[in-house]
Amino acid sequence: MTVYRYFMKIAIRNRWTIAMYVIVFFVMTVLNSSNAMKREESFVESRLNIGIIDNCNSEMSNSLKDYLKDENNIVDTVEDEDYIKEQIFLEMADAVIIIPDDFDEKVINREESVLIYKDDRKPQAIQIDNQINKFLGFANITYENGTFDLDYVNEALNESIEVHVLSSEDKFKNLGLNAWLKFYFNFTGYVIIALYVAVIGVVMSDFGDENIDNRRRISSKRFLEFNREIYLGQLTLAAAVASIFIIASILFIRENIWSVYYVKYLVNLVVFSFSILCLTFLINNITRNKYAITALSNVLSLGTSFISGVMVPQEILGEKVLVIAKFFPMYYFVKVNDSIVSSFSDVGFELFMQLLFAVAFLLIGLILSKKAQRA
Amino acid sequence: MSNIIRNCMYQGKNLFREGSLLFWSVIYPIILAVLFYAAFNGIMDSSLDDINIGIEESNEIFHVLEEMDFINVHIITENEVYEKLDNEEIDAFIDSNLNLTVDESGINQTIIKEVVEEIKQIIKLNRPIDGFEFFVSYVQGKNQEANSFVVIFYSLIAMVSTYGIYAGIETASLVQANLSNLGIRINVTPLKKQNFLIAGVIVSLLMNLFANTVLLLFINYILKIHLCSDLKHSAVFILLGNLFGVILGVFIGVSNKKSMSVKTLIAIVVTLLLSFLSGMMGPWIKIMIDKYIPLLARINPISIISNNLYRINLLGSTKSVGEGAVILLFYCIVLLFLSYIFLRRKNNDSL
Repeated sequence: MTVYRYFMKIAIRNRWTIAMYVIVFFVMTVLNSSNAMKREESFVESRLNIGIIDNCNSEMSNSLKDYLKDENNIVDTVEDEDYIKEQIFLEMADAVIIIPDDFDEKVINREESVLIYKDDRKPQAIQIDNQINKFLGFANITYENGTFDLDYVNEALNESIEVHVLSSEDKFKNLGLNAWLKFYFNFTGYVIIALYVAVIGVVMSDFGDENIDNRRRISSKRFLEFNREIYLGQLTLAAAVASIFIIASILFIRENIWSVYYVKYLVNLVVFSFSILCLTFLINNITRNKYAITALSNVLSLGTSFISGVMVPQEILGEKVLVIAKFFPMYYFVKVNDSIVSSFSDVGFELFMQLLFAVAFLLIGLILSKKAQRA
Repeated sequence: MSNIIRNCMYQGKNLFREGSLLFWSVIYPIILAVLFYAAFNGIMDSSLDDINIGIEESNEIFHVLEEMDFINVHIITENEVYEKLDNEEIDAFIDSNLNLTVDESGINQTIIKEVVEEIKQIIKLNRPIDGFEFFVSYVQGKNQEANSFVVIFYSLIAMVSTYGIYAGIETASLVQANLSNLGIRINVTPLKKQNFLIAGVIVSLLMNLFANTVLLLFINYILKIHLCSDLKHSAVFILLGNLFGVILGVFIGVSNKKSMSVKTLIAIVVTLLLSFLSGMMGPWIKIMIDKYIPLLARINPISIISNNLYRINLLGSTKSVGEGAVILLFYCIVLLFLSYIFLRRKNNDSL
């Protein structure tokens, strides 16, 4: 096991580089998944993110603000057009409402009473318009003897309807937790490619040194045995990296692990890791040029992530993009994470495809390695 | 001066022949731009679709809904509800008691719920229905298109503008005896190291600026995404990004004795992390950072560049240009000073 021992020795010598890489990507994974949509288990009204600036501060404007606060989430804003436009542009706010100082007069005269910054192309713009027009319209109906009957308006606004959700049991079960796991494991897929190819590439570049390679060729070490030990070394390193992400996911969801089909994510990650490990093996047999390896690591990880649905859900991606994505194991990995399953047979094809890729990568890698040996 | 020009020519040839630099500066950004385009193109062109409501013709509010211009009314029977909802032909069904049946939560379903509730609430108000002026608008709208996904492209340009980092590392290794054979030769000659370094920085800057121009032309003419309407201000930040990238590369190159591959890895990790935080892999990260750690967004050099680029070109605001340029220049001066400290009076007794 000399080769394996030296492989591990080189890995340990590069421990700080590897640790830096792992930590940075781990931070990126956690940050990315923290955005996972919090889905509820029944019908939930879509609350808009709105900013309100009240320059009037009358009973009427306060009442409108209270109503809007009940229906929406309030975000901080400032009365600066550039700032407000940026909030809308970045979708930090769906709308920003400015109530002028002569608000009450304008409402009574049925004039345009509030200024709203919004994106007219979005349904959120309709919703906020409706809410404000409804409230002010109701208020005007109750306007008598110079006063609004706002208590009566609020009483009417409490009147609501029932909403029945079809097939809520299966569709909404643990959606929040599953969404988090989906985001986390999908992004881990990106990280796995980037880390495996780069980290193993760093270690393998030492083995690629011409002098070392020549010495190995004239040694008594058999070709297959050398490759086996190298592969074992890569497997150890890969397992260590994957374990960090698996253990972290368990620590994040803790006791909730039993309420979701966690084993699906786990098995999928193990199968995918194996497939990428075989890809790494192939890349290291195509080139030992460390710059080429780093380049491939970046292009493959980011490239397949973007076209396979890691950064953007698969349903939003175009059909042509997805056709190309099908030629990479990442597509099948994301597909398994995204699907709601009751048993492994539901995702058997996707897991099988990932294994098929693994076998293909491994075989081509071995053939190239054999060719290089003869050269 | 003639020394510097001669060194610029030599180093220019040297860098141009280095395949990996060509890849990172020119080819890699184009590959990323194509991938971003493929992934985000559909999302960036948003348009308002009508909301589809299923209702029976006998329903008392059928005609009221028909009058609303953002609603498509589909006449269906109760037996068809499940099928129509499942096929996403309708967003919700309104039954005779004015209750809703939906398949999922969403903004369209919420709007329908509010419209139906409004009708119930008017009845509750118990005032003559003709006193309610449905068509009075109390809202004066100011349209601002939301397009957070375009931030990804600005982040990409910002990241690529700092890709002089690789040429910077290469330049630094060229003058260090413990890093390259050429460095050994330069160190044993009476030639001045600073001339090589200055020439290296100039060449790296020019090469990366050339690569940035290629990328911008590619995005503008091939992908047909028009990102730079205000070229003058945009050029300031792209130039500063280049300067920052090259000097950061020199700093990484001279500050440690690690191998070139490790230094390249450091450069990749630094630029990738800063780009990630500026929203290159999804605008939600940038929004989260802006919300919870706004200081980080103000000091992250890639964020400074990408934020200013979209503010200048899409929002027409140049308010933060001064602050951003000063911070980037400050980084450049500090890194240059630190690199100088690492390089000065450095001798190698043995190698």
